[in-house]
Amino acid sequence: MLRIALKGILGRKARLVLTSLAVILGTAFLSGTAVFSATLNRTFDNLFSDVFRNVDSYVRSTQVIEADFGAEERQRIPAELIAMIEAVPGVGDVQGDIQAFARIIGKDGQPLGSEGAGPPTFGSVGEEFKGALWTISEGKFPSNSTEVALDEASAKAGNYVVGDIVKVVAQTGSREFTLVGIAGYGDVRSPGGATFALFDLATAQEFLAKPGFVDAILISGDGSASDEELAQAINAIIPSSYKTETLTGAEITKETQDQIGSALSFFSILLSTFSYIALGVGSFVIYNVFSISAAQRQRENALLRAIGASKKQVTRALMIESVVVGLFGSTIGLFAGIGLSKALSALLKAASIDLPSGDLVVPSSAVVNTIVVGLIVTVASAWLPARRAGKVPPLAAMRETAIEIVVLSRRRSLFGLILIALGAATIVAVTSGASNKWLGLGILFVFSGTITLGPVIARPVALLLGKPAEKFRGVTGTMARQNSARNPKRTSRTASPVLIGVALVTAVAALAASISSQIDGVFTQQFKGDYAINTNARGFGGLSPSLADDINALPEVERATGIGLLTVKIDGKGQYLTTINPATVEGVYDIGLTSGSYADLTPETIFVSQQYAENNDAKLGDTLQVTLADAQVKTLSIAGIYEFDELAGKYTVSRDLTKDTTVITFDLGVYIKIKSGVSDESARTALQAAVDKYGQGTLLSKREYIDSQSGQINQLLGLIYGLLFLSVIIAIVGIIITLLLSVFERQREIGLLRAVGMTKSQVRTTVRWESVITSLLGAVVGIVLGVGLGWVIVYALRDQGLSSFSVPVGPTVSILIMAFVIGVLAAVYPAWRATRVNLLAAITTA
Amino acid sequence: MKNPSAATATNVSKIYGHGDSEVRALDNVSVQFETGKFTAIMGPSGSGKSTLMHCMAGLDEMTEGSVTIADIDIASLKDKDLTKLRRDKIGFVFQSFNLVPTLNADENIRLPLLLGNNKGNEEWIQKVINTVHLQDRLTHRPSELSGGQQQRVAVARALASEPAIIFADEPTGNLDSTTGNEILSFMRKAVDELGQTIVMVTHDPVSASYADRIVFLKDGKIAGELLEPTPELVLDYMKKLGH
Repeated sequence: MLRIALKGILGRKARLVLTSLAVILGTAFLSGTAVFSATLNRTFDNLFSDVFRNVDSYVRSTQVIEADFGAEERQRIPAELIAMIEAVPGVGDVQGDIQAFARIIGKDGQPLGSEGAGPPTFGSVGEEFKGALWTISEGKFPSNSTEVALDEASAKAGNYVVGDIVKVVAQTGSREFTLVGIAGYGDVRSPGGATFALFDLATAQEFLAKPGFVDAILISGDGSASDEELAQAINAIIPSSYKTETLTGAEITKETQDQIGSALSFFSILLSTFSYIALGVGSFVIYNVFSISAAQRQRENALLRAIGASKKQVTRALMIESVVVGLFGSTIGLFAGIGLSKALSALLKAASIDLPSGDLVVPSSAVVNTIVVGLIVTVASAWLPARRAGKVPPLAAMRETAIEIVVLSRRRSLFGLILIALGAATIVAVTSGASNKWLGLGILFVFSGTITLGPVIARPVALLLGKPAEKFRGVTGTMARQNSARNPKRTSRTASPVLIGVALVTAVAALAASISSQIDGVFTQQFKGDYAINTNARGFGGLSPSLADDINALPEVERATGIGLLTVKIDGKGQYLTTINPATVEGVYDIGLTSGSYADLTPETIFVSQQYAENNDAKLGDTLQVTLADAQVKTLSIAGIYEFDELAGKYTVSRDLTKDTTVITFDLGVYIKIKSGVSDESARTALQAAVDKYGQGTLLSKREYIDSQSGQINQLLGLIYGLLFLSVIIAIVGIIITLLLSVFERQREIGLLRAVGMTKSQVRTTVRWESVITSLLGAVVGIVLGVGLGWVIVYALRDQGLSSFSVPVGPTVSILIMAFVIGVLAAVYPAWRATRVNLLAAITTA
Repeated sequence: MKNPSAATATNVSKIYGHGDSEVRALDNVSVQFETGKFTAIMGPSGSGKSTLMHCMAGLDEMTEGSVTIADIDIASLKDKDLTKLRRDKIGFVFQSFNLVPTLNADENIRLPLLLGNNKGNEEWIQKVINTVHLQDRLTHRPSELSGGQQQRVAVARALASEPAIIFADEPTGNLDSTTGNEILSFMRKAVDELGQTIVMVTHDPVSASYADRIVFLKDGKIAGELLEPTPELVLDYMKKLGH
């Protein structure tokens, strides 16, 4: 039987290629993402081991606030420690390090690098140091307060040469410097695409951070002591009141690598999740191809049975074929994936994210995983069709035509309906109080139920969707419509990849639409200004608080207020406080005070949200212990309670709270109300001039601002759409394969039609419309499922403040158009093949 | 005035292969099929009778010679025009697999008209349907029809567009003799009562005896003709030809 199976495979190379194609695509994404992640990991590991290669000890504050999303704010340490450390025996060279927000302004007045999205923009220290991270490739390191050095990539991007005047914006404002040097970072032009402006230590302290403080101290030894001994010696001389710790070079390297590793692991998990979705979608295609080819070989298998092969042997022959296809496909998929990961890197490079160069890392786990998973999925997909092939009665050999017999069993309908009912019941249970964790199970049930019911609903839905084709395309449309409905099992299996992809995209789009409309509502309610200055520099600085003051002083402006964020510790946990300026906030930004007034907000008081007050049984006059990032503890009494916590969160404080501390605050936005009678044009001109002075932030009208806030979610969606695009590709390939096999199966019919007068273009029309109907079938059912899924997710997130559900009308329309285009594209090759059918052979074969 | 000849083949040759391996399936054949007559083409396997039909019907390309159908020289036609010619001027009845399984009987009958976006002559179509007794089977799919009924639908389809000529390739080859005779009677009626022109390829003397005229082919050449045949005459003639 093995020989028969192998001969069968080699005898039909086209079929082997078609079947393998689905396996190749599915496994290519799997290995591609694995290789890409591993390469990225290794690259960053190498980069950071380079960074600290000559750093033997690392001194930093022990004071750190860990807030949500892994954000971490470590306190600065006094610069006077540098001199103390220099005196420690064994110390060779010491440098204070600062890494803070700074943006380089290009010659055209636009900042280099993107705001918010994309790699961060830094200001740092660039000085002669034995353990230096930076090496000057041109010019020299800056040595006074008028000089700056830039990383190579930024200098190139900004067209800057040594001697130019460069404007840099930092948290204390903007300033012009003379470019004296261009620096490289290890062997790359800039680390990970970030931009760097380098200063001497004193300038960095005063311009980027706070005079007298540094972020950390880097020490390189003179070689007389081991790293461990050196760290101990340094630690021993620093009084504990400084609250510092000393790490060895190896320790800080490992810590940084681990941090990057965990940040990257989120990315790899996301990538591999989508590659598994893609593979799952691909398994439908694999299953479909095996089913069709088994059906088309019915006579051949029946003949084998008639001449004495057992059921088992027939089944086994097909299983052997699936093993060959699985191995063949996964192996090619593995290599295709390696190519794919190269393409991904090139793509990132094109998006000017200059990753450090490094060889491609192909972990053996990725190789084994790809082959094993690919093989398992292929063999599992072939199992049912192979068993069905074995059940072919020997008599079928004598039948004239070998077309898949379609019996839609009641059992299938019943089973599908039960699954959907179970899923619906689970979801209802969740909506009426059960834990959200059951939701996934409910959704899985509904999906499986729908797929099970697929063949049952495929026929009526395909016939319905085909109506317009019949109306506008006459008899070719009729045939396309009937063809798409003639084998509902096949049609539904072909449409399933489209269905799954579309359902996921629609659900994500529905979630996004709901979030967007919610954000829109919140801002409309709470933002009362006419203009806003917005920055997306999350986590890395923001707008200087003096910007709001400057704008407030403009004659065109009625009132302007800055809103910022402060990271603190309350009850030992990191928390975000919203900072406002109580003097100017009224009438521009509304937090819905229900008790107290803005005048009550002083550096000694705090406002809390109504929700917080209820949950914690807090009332006016109660006190809260707030630990600032510099370890100062403030006792604040509750002086007001507010209703709108969507933007302000649980706590709101005055921006003066940090006035006499070392903590630096930024504004994340400035809200502006214009005096009545001032024209839009003159207001905009005046405001833009103020913004330009600082070189950062974007001036937006009320509508633009609200749209930009509610549109942020769409950026995130871009990534998810991109990844789901993988399953769309597989869906297209699935349709192509099925159509090709169908065309092959219908050769005689096509020949007959050509004989009695069907033109080639009519043949193509028929195939094209069948393809479109199939694709639309998947899209329509997918949209219904996706909208439902989206609703369920939005409902599950109601505790996170998501209260309204919006149907994503725009995306739905785009998906339908896309499904149409997919149908047309997928049909191109099969339609062409159909016109190549040998007319005479088709009609003369008895 | 109608051309007395619905289809004419002049010096048609069909050659497969080159040089030593050259096979002449048709060797300089000239033949005319009269309008309003039922002609049968007979000959042993490999005599070229099917090839002749395929070449004359525009289904296969000839190597040499010319064919005119309804005064149109088909050798000069491109695929698109040739397809239209088959659709509008030629009717076909094949031995098996004559119908599109996804269309019902009525749609199958009107298929050439539907493909040409042509309403056709409704009165004529009804007459055709009545002639082959299919009135109560029109909404059935081919899979719901017997073999004889399927061939009747095929005959009706061939007639529906009032073609200049109908080519039938062993139309009764897959049927039992009773059903076969029924189909042949319908074809006879189509010629006698509806004035159609039919050319039928067959190897069966009884079938051939329904025709007005029999053209015999042997080794790719015309071997003889027989007018007003009966089965006995056909058999005698075949013996004479050395079958």
